Amino acid sequence: MKKKKTAVVFWMIFLLGFAVSACGQPKDQGKDSERQRDGEKEASSDSIVCYVGHGFWDGSLDPVKGGFSYGYDFINNGLVRVNPDSEYEGDLAESWEISQDALVYTYQLKEGIAFHDGSKLTAEDVVFTYETVMANQGQNEKVDLSKVEKVEALDTYTVQFTLKEPFSPFLDSTAQLGIVPKESYDRESFDQMPVGTGPWKVIQYDTEQQLIVEANETYFEGAPQIKRVTFVDMDNEAAFSNAKSGQLDVVMVQPAYGVETLEGMHMEKLETMDVRNISLPYREPETITDEEGKTYTVGNPVTSDIAVRKALSVGVNRQEVIDHAFNGVGRPAEGWTDNLIWGNTASYEDGQVEEAEKILEEAGWTDQDKDGIREKDGVKCAFEVYTPADEQDRYMLAAAVAENVKSLGIEIQVKQTTWDEITENAYSQGVVWGYGQYSPMVIDSLFQSEHFGKQAYQNTNGYQNQEVDALIEKAISANSQENAVKAWKEVQTAYEEDYPYLFLVNIEHCYFVSDRLDISVDTQIPHPHGHGMPIICNMKDWTIREK
Amino acid sequence: MNKKMDKFWNRKRKTCFVIGVAGAYLILVLAAGLWMSPERYGVDYNAKFTAPCLAHPFGTDQMGRDMFFRSVKGLSNSILIGILASSVSSFIALVFGVTAAIKGGKADGFVNWCVDVCMGIPHLVLLILISFMMGRGGKGVMTAVALTHWPELTRLVRAEVLQIRSAPYVKASYRMGKTRFQAAKEHMIPQVLPVYLIGVVLLFPHAIMHEAAITFLGFGFSAEVPAIGVILSESMKHIATGKWWMAVFPGLMLLLAVVLFDLIGENLKRLLHPNSGNE
Repeated sequence: MKKKKTAVVFWMIFLLGFAVSACGQPKDQGKDSERQRDGEKEASSDSIVCYVGHGFWDGSLDPVKGGFSYGYDFINNGLVRVNPDSEYEGDLAESWEISQDALVYTYQLKEGIAFHDGSKLTAEDVVFTYETVMANQGQNEKVDLSKVEKVEALDTYTVQFTLKEPFSPFLDSTAQLGIVPKESYDRESFDQMPVGTGPWKVIQYDTEQQLIVEANETYFEGAPQIKRVTFVDMDNEAAFSNAKSGQLDVVMVQPAYGVETLEGMHMEKLETMDVRNISLPYREPETITDEEGKTYTVGNPVTSDIAVRKALSVGVNRQEVIDHAFNGVGRPAEGWTDNLIWGNTASYEDGQVEEAEKILEEAGWTDQDKDGIREKDGVKCAFEVYTPADEQDRYMLAAAVAENVKSLGIEIQVKQTTWDEITENAYSQGVVWGYGQYSPMVIDSLFQSEHFGKQAYQNTNGYQNQEVDALIEKAISANSQENAVKAWKEVQTAYEEDYPYLFLVNIEHCYFVSDRLDISVDTQIPHPHGHGMPIICNMKDWTIREK
Repeated sequence: MNKKMDKFWNRKRKTCFVIGVAGAYLILVLAAGLWMSPERYGVDYNAKFTAPCLAHPFGTDQMGRDMFFRSVKGLSNSILIGILASSVSSFIALVFGVTAAIKGGKADGFVNWCVDVCMGIPHLVLLILISFMMGRGGKGVMTAVALTHWPELTRLVRAEVLQIRSAPYVKASYRMGKTRFQAAKEHMIPQVLPVYLIGVVLLFPHAIMHEAAITFLGFGFSAEVPAIGVILSESMKHIATGKWWMAVFPGLMLLLAVVLFDLIGENLKRLLHPNSGNE
């Protein structure tokens, strides 16, 4: 009896193996494309189904509560927005003015804009939205309005913000916050069915399953050509399989899938401002005590040496790392990207193995015991780099870097774990981070020495440089956008000499897009950090090609 | 000739042969994994996603690591954990089982309560809880697997000892002034030993499967350790694109190891069990 059972199990496994292997062979692809054609026939000519990443449709859609934390809202509009050249332009606002002392922002609204429910947009709605967020700031992580003193409506179409102190990134805040109607705003129902002025309105929202939106026929810039869009939430692999059987029009994939081909679909690689870097703890090992009396060990004996950090930055071959980890998808990055107006892209030649070795030798890091790893005063030139368990591409990146810097005599042990554990270890070991946003406040968050140890994810490196602190202060209080940009660039030049982060790659977002669909690549804005979601920022411009 | 062969291959010899071959294979895998140089399953970006061929019988993965050597190393880790889990669990089971049966009363009640509590919680959930509490990774898996496999064996040992406890020769030894401990050591444990040993061997497949299972679910070894569970969960990410070899071969190896342990256990049972030992 037992033997029989065993035999049956064996056969089942074998059969399964063959069935799976057969899938990869061309003879079965005929079937696939048949199915696909059937699928397309079923799909109506003005609706599409998209997968733009996992885990976006799990919270509130209400802009007041920080809905759409990645990329721009398409149900509600903000006062301003960025264009494909990363410059700010009016969205609901016709124009805006900033006072000489950088404390008063005045926005002139466009006239005749209507909400989905037919009511007209006025300055009162803007005041209401901002005041509601200010009163419930704790619920909104996306937009920080703590610097706002008051907001008032000067007339029906003019709004004036008064700040407590100069805060140059405020313009970006007004791009992030979508405006809700004062009359019909409801805390409960807006979680599922927000009413806005945007090109799309919600038909149905099933948390963690799907979001269905329909075109707003009265959108002030013209109704979208596509009439209905369904976003599905599943995991990446399931989405890819679904696309393979022809059920999706847009599917986001990891760079590792970039070499695959799908019948009836083509690959689009879209520009982002999203960079991946590895933090290199700046301080010598020490113990610190926080306000609650808990003690932490911070700092790292290896990465606190500038020679190691500099050797890594100039010695690593970024293109090779990208080829290995991402199949060549992405661009080498040594700092923030040039599609950010404040990005300082002063770069240097990388892959300079000899130069890196010289730096290490001069600093006293030599390989005495001939094990391929350098030492100095008995300390091995080795440290750990943590990556989140749910993001395979970051693990691949760290592993490729580790492999690449082996030749420099530096050992990186790559770990994969939960964010909780990463947060704990970030003060003393490297972490693979991803950043990409229009607001330059990321520089403040990462390099301002006072942030160290106060809040998770802020200056985990323990970076401290008085000159940088002063320049950040100057940039934030700048009285015009030009001055702010200039100051932000100075900040970057100042900290670059210390190589506190090993910048690696400016990633590209990969999507398979149905051949019948045109996603209007020209009007795509450079994607902020968002795991694939930002592709929908210009969904109103998408068109379905006539056959 | 045939008759001679038949005579030679009597049941006992056959059983021993099966045990020998299965044991040799598992020991080979364990040893190969223990002494394997990490370079064997090192990263080679020029050989990403190679289908099975002569150079890589099991193919390679997304980082060009050889799946054959990774699988062997992973299985070896699993067997190691199996050995650890079996020895810890069986020791606990022996102590608990014998104590419960001999002492009776409150001790018996306590042991039974422990067994019920342990068996009352779904095994996988218990494993995950313990592993998570211990900070996951190798330490978490080992603790979890080692500490949760004793209840069944405890029951078995307790039942056997209860039976023997009232046997005339045990009673006689008490009359002759032996203490409980001496009686247990000299008369009971030798009697229970065959059942106990078989129980221990049959624990192995459970332990190995559970190690692979919690690692697969992400609560065990982390991604950089070559473990069967890690390999299988990674392969799930690539199965949609038709990289079947990443799942099939390691899966088969795991299955084979589990089946072989089961085979050893069943055959040992035939050999050692008093009722069928001399068939």
